[in-house]
Amino acid sequence: MNSDARTRVMARVRGACQGNSATRIEEELAALGVAPAAALPHEDTCIAFMVNVLRNQGTLEVAANRSDAVKRIGNYLYDHYRSHRLVAGNDPRLAAMPWRDGGVLPRFGELEAGEQIALSHADWGVAETGATVLLSGKHNPSRNNLLPEHHVVIVDVDTLLPDMESMWQQVNPVLERHGRPRGIYCIAGPSSTGDIEAQLVYGAHGPRAWHVILLGEVDPEKLDMARALHAGAAAGASKD
Amino acid sequence: MEQHSQQFLDNASTALADAGGVAQRDIMALFAPLLRDAAVEGFGNFEALRQHVKRVRQHSLDNLDYYLARFELEATNNGNQVHYAETAEDLNSIVLDICQQHGARKIAKGKSMVTEETGLNDYLQRGGLDVLETDLGEYIIQQAGETPSHIVGPALHKTREQIRDLFLERHDLGERELDSIGELVGEARQVLREHFLQAEVGIIGSNALIAENGYSMLITNEGNGDLCANLPKVLIICTTLDRVLPRGEDATAIQRLLARSATGQPHTCYTSFYSGPRREQDADGPLETHFVLLDNRRTDILASDYRDMLRCIRCGACLNHCPIFAASGGHAYGWVYPGPMGSVLTPLLTSLEESSALPNACTSCGRCAEVCPSDIPLPDLLRDLRHEESARGLTAPAWRYGLRAHAWLAARPGLYHRLTGVAINLLHRFGKRSGAFSKLPFASGWTSKRDFPAPAGKTFMQQYRQRSQADE
Repeated sequence: MNSDARTRVMARVRGACQGNSATRIEEELAALGVAPAAALPHEDTCIAFMVNVLRNQGTLEVAANRSDAVKRIGNYLYDHYRSHRLVAGNDPRLAAMPWRDGGVLPRFGELEAGEQIALSHADWGVAETGATVLLSGKHNPSRNNLLPEHHVVIVDVDTLLPDMESMWQQVNPVLERHGRPRGIYCIAGPSSTGDIEAQLVYGAHGPRAWHVILLGEVDPEKLDMARALHAGAAAGASKD
Repeated sequence: MEQHSQQFLDNASTALADAGGVAQRDIMALFAPLLRDAAVEGFGNFEALRQHVKRVRQHSLDNLDYYLARFELEATNNGNQVHYAETAEDLNSIVLDICQQHGARKIAKGKSMVTEETGLNDYLQRGGLDVLETDLGEYIIQQAGETPSHIVGPALHKTREQIRDLFLERHDLGERELDSIGELVGEARQVLREHFLQAEVGIIGSNALIAENGYSMLITNEGNGDLCANLPKVLIICTTLDRVLPRGEDATAIQRLLARSATGQPHTCYTSFYSGPRREQDADGPLETHFVLLDNRRTDILASDYRDMLRCIRCGACLNHCPIFAASGGHAYGWVYPGPMGSVLTPLLTSLEESSALPNACTSCGRCAEVCPSDIPLPDLLRDLRHEESARGLTAPAWRYGLRAHAWLAARPGLYHRLTGVAINLLHRFGKRSGAFSKLPFASGWTSKRDFPAPAGKTFMQQYRQRSQADE
C-alpha cells in the first residue's frame, strides 16, 4: 500500500466529515432502524419462497425426504441428459444422501470440463427474493455454482427465511463463530442477460437452468398454491 | 477516457439525424419507465425504503472517515491488500503493477464504470496485457471499439444485425447462423468461457463495501462478475471510497433499490459477497485479492455542496426517464457518465470548463429526481452548476448579460409588469390577424422550428387584477 496516498486521502475524508465519536456514530446508526422488505406474494414463507423461485425462472420440486429427493434428482438427470451422473461438492449433507435409491452416481469435488450438472446444498432460502444462499468452502466449490449447464440446489424447508434482514441474522453469527467464508452467494435464477436489444436470454455465462428441490414436509397444497399464484400473476401481467 | 462533453450539441444533432437510433431510443424511453414503475409498485412501500437508504447513505457519508477506516481494517484482516488511488492514473498503474507482479497476460474483466472512468483497459493493453470485458454489453462495445451508451445497458444502441456482423468479423468460427439473439448470446458465452478459464487476473467493481465485515457486494445477472471473482488466481476489486456502508443489511437494502430502478427486476440472478482470498478449507477461489479504492475528486465532492451526488447507486433510472437522454443518446454526453447523473458528475470529476454544456442539457422537468432511488435532487444540482458556470464566466457573454438584465428586471416587479404589459400588447396587435408569428426578433431558436402563438391582449397579472376587482 502506498501509505502517502492513503494518508492524503484519509486526511481529505476526515476534513470533510464531522469527526463524531464512535459511540455517537453507532448510536445514530442504531436509531436509523431497519429497511422495509418487499411485499411477499403470500403470507406463508414457504409458499412465498416457491412463488419467487418460479418467478426467477427456476424450476421447482418438493421432496418429502432424502430418498424422495434422490429419486427426483435421478429423474431430472435422465430427463435432461439420459444420464445418472452429476458432480457435487464435498458436503456431508450431500454425501449422506441415499444415492442408490435414485440410481444416481455422484462424483464429489469440483466441476470439470464436460460435466453438465452440478448439485449444491444451500444453507438458506430467502422468500423475499426466492434466492438460495450458499457459503463458499470445501463443501461448495464456486465452480459448481457458476459453470454447469444445469445447477440443482437442495434447500431444507426448515431453513427458509422471510427476508434479507433475517438472512443476515443467520449469517452474522456464522461469520463470528466460524470465520468469514470467502464468498456468500445469493443465487436467484439461471444466468441471464438483456444486453442485446433488451431481450432477456437465459444462459449468459453461468447455468442455463436452475432447479430447486425443497426438502422436507411441505403440504402438497402449498406447492399447488404457489404454482397457481405464479401462473395467476403471469396471466395478469400478459393481460396488461 | 477521452472527453468530448463540450461537443454535446453537435453530438446530439448527429444522434437526432440517425432515424434508426432515434426509433430505438424512443422504444427504450417508453418501456424502461413502465418496467420500473411495475417493479416499484410490486415492492410495497418503496418510498419508505428510499428514504431509509437515503438516511443510511447520508449517515455513512457524514461519517465516512470512521466507516472507511473500519472497512480497511476488516478487509485487511480478511486477507486483502487495500490500495488508495488518488487519481485515475494511480488506479491504472496500481492494477498494472499487480498484473505484472504475477506475470499475468490474460485479464478477465467484469463490468465497472469506475474502470471506464480511469480508462483502465487501454492502459493495460498498452502494457501488453490481453484484457477482455466479460459483461456481454461491455464485450460487444469493446469488440466494436466503442464506449458505453448507457451505464446499465452499454450496448443497447446496437441492433442484433450490427452485433451479428461484428461477431462474424471478430470471431474466427467459420460459417454459422447468427440470426437470433439467443445464438449471439451463445457465441459470446462460448468465446468468453475459454478466456475465463485461462485468465490469470480477474477485475471487478463493487456495488457496496461493508464496513462491519469487510465484504464487497457484487450484483449481476449474467454471472460474469462472479466468474471473474472466482476463477483467476488473482482478484482486483476496483471501486470508489464512497461505496462504504455500515452493515450487511444496508448493502441488501441497496440491492432492493438497484434492480427495480435499473431494469425493473425485483432482484438480479446473482448477489454475491466476497471477503478475500481462498481460505485453507476452500476448494477454489483466488489466492490473492486486492481492493483499489479510487478518490478522483470524490473527496472534493464530499467536502462540497454536491455531496448528495455521492449517494448515486448507478442504476440508470434517471437516464431512462430523461427526455434529453432519450433524444440525444448516451454518446452525446461525450464521457463515461451520461444523462442527468452524468451531467452532474462529469463537471465534478473532470472540470466545469471541459463540460459546461452538460448542466444545460436539462429541461428541468424533474422526472430524474422523482425516480432517483437515492432521492438525489438532480435538477437542483444541475441548476447550481449552471449558476456556477455563470458566476465563473463560462457561459456566452450575451447569455450572461441577458440573464443579468432579466434578474435586474425581475427584482423590480412594478417595472417588470409595465414592460411585459407593453410587450404583450404589441405582440397581440401584430399577431392578431394570423394568430401566430413565423418570425420574431430574439426568438429565432423557437420560430425556426415552429410558430410562436400570438398572446392574449393582457398579461396574466393584468387579467388577474381585473377579475379580482370584478369579483369584489
